Amino acid sequence: MEIAEVIITFARAWGWIGAAVAAVFLTIGLERIDPDARGAYAFRPLLIPGVLLLWPLVMWRWWQIESSATGWAARYRPVRRAHGAAAIALSAGLALVLIAGLGARQTWPGDVAPVQISAGKNP
Amino acid sequence: MSVKYIPVQWNRNKWLYNGVMLAGVVLFLWLFLYVTPGVLGHERAITPQTHNARAFGACAFMMLTVILCIGPLARLDRRFLPLLYNRRHFGVMTAFVALTHAGYIVNWYFAFSATPKFEAVLAANTSFGQIAGFPIEALGVFALLCLLILAATSHDFWLKFLTPPVWKRLHYLIYAAYVAVVAHVTLGVLQDQQNHLLTVIVIASATCVGGLHLAAWRADMREARLQASGAWVTIGQAEQMREGFARIGLLPTGDRVAVFLMDGQLSAISNACAHQNGPLGEGKIISCLVTCPWHGFQYDVRSGRSPAPFTEMVPTYRVRVQNGAVQVHPDANPPGTYVDPVPLRAMPEAAL
Repeated sequence: MEIAEVIITFARAWGWIGAAVAAVFLTIGLERIDPDARGAYAFRPLLIPGVLLLWPLVMWRWWQIESSATGWAARYRPVRRAHGAAAIALSAGLALVLIAGLGARQTWPGDVAPVQISAGKNP
Repeated sequence: MSVKYIPVQWNRNKWLYNGVMLAGVVLFLWLFLYVTPGVLGHERAITPQTHNARAFGACAFMMLTVILCIGPLARLDRRFLPLLYNRRHFGVMTAFVALTHAGYIVNWYFAFSATPKFEAVLAANTSFGQIAGFPIEALGVFALLCLLILAATSHDFWLKFLTPPVWKRLHYLIYAAYVAVVAHVTLGVLQDQQNHLLTVIVIASATCVGGLHLAAWRADMREARLQASGAWVTIGQAEQMREGFARIGLLPTGDRVAVFLMDGQLSAISNACAHQNGPLGEGKIISCLVTCPWHGFQYDVRSGRSPAPFTEMVPTYRVRVQNGAVQVHPDANPPGTYVDPVPLRAMPEAAL
């Protein structure tokens, strides 16, 4: 089985599990953990894509809320302290990508003769 | 806000914001597709599918660039705050534009082979060991997945369910997505450009995003961490307080506190809004209520509670005035705890 085929199969399985989690969470779990969701049905379909993509995170938070595993103070700790690291990583990543990408370009800054970068099946 | 969830909360400002945004997208696509093909350097004839794919791809790139500039701009200059207001709708629309770009690519370049098209996207190029000819499809798939995750978790329910800190951390994926998109463009279409306009636009966009984020971080760094003297922490001097406004302090615990002066009396609440952890201390008090500058959530500064029927709450703090210094006790009260306001010129005992 090709790696691409494995990835697609994995993605399908992920989606099916997510669909099962969404069915249970949106019909039973939602009302148990959030009073604002009781009697509110129109918004629930909007949550389906998020549950499909992030069902492990949904199950973790569901369990945390059911078991009161987190204290109230955790809600009020902004992650602004991480902004510095994020800004540096973003800027460094962009610089690296631009330098590497433009450096590998064969038609800029000066035109050079193009070279074959990998051997093809048809010589 | 709270009370019962509805699919989308609309108001006049959001209609206006989305209208301008949609008009911008339509204008961009129209210019790209019908007005400027000569300028875009399509030296070789391209199919309408390729042209459409490029138009939607370029549009998604520009939208993502604008989205990423809004945050630091609002930190650096409050006049940009209105742009922050409805940025989530901007993000959702960007995800749809990017998805349309991906649709054109997959249904044109990968749809006519024996291999299923989604497998073909992943298997067509696997030269991960080289820069020139790097599989840009993988970069695009990664960025699109990030955008879809962010769009799928944009409803207010997710903020409350995941908590603002977890939601924010999840939404840091936008940075990884942008780097991947710049790599997708640089290692893709820019490798084959005779016309350098697009190269200049990409470099300028990336520089703008990176530079603004660094500038906003430097501005945040200037905010001094307060030093504790005993159990209490000095936020500032009494004469520095302005009626109707707050002074913000970074406590030794790492939490930010906003101390408000209202009718000559002091009240202290968490600086982090319960919605998205927006900076409450940058809001103004009107009738005991401070309004978050990011999305308009309101709290009574004495109790940290939103006015009925809303149910949001933020922690409150004890405050006192000692020898002309405004001090806060760093131990936060549970959200919604009422604390008697303290007269600015009161004796220290009165505050306790």
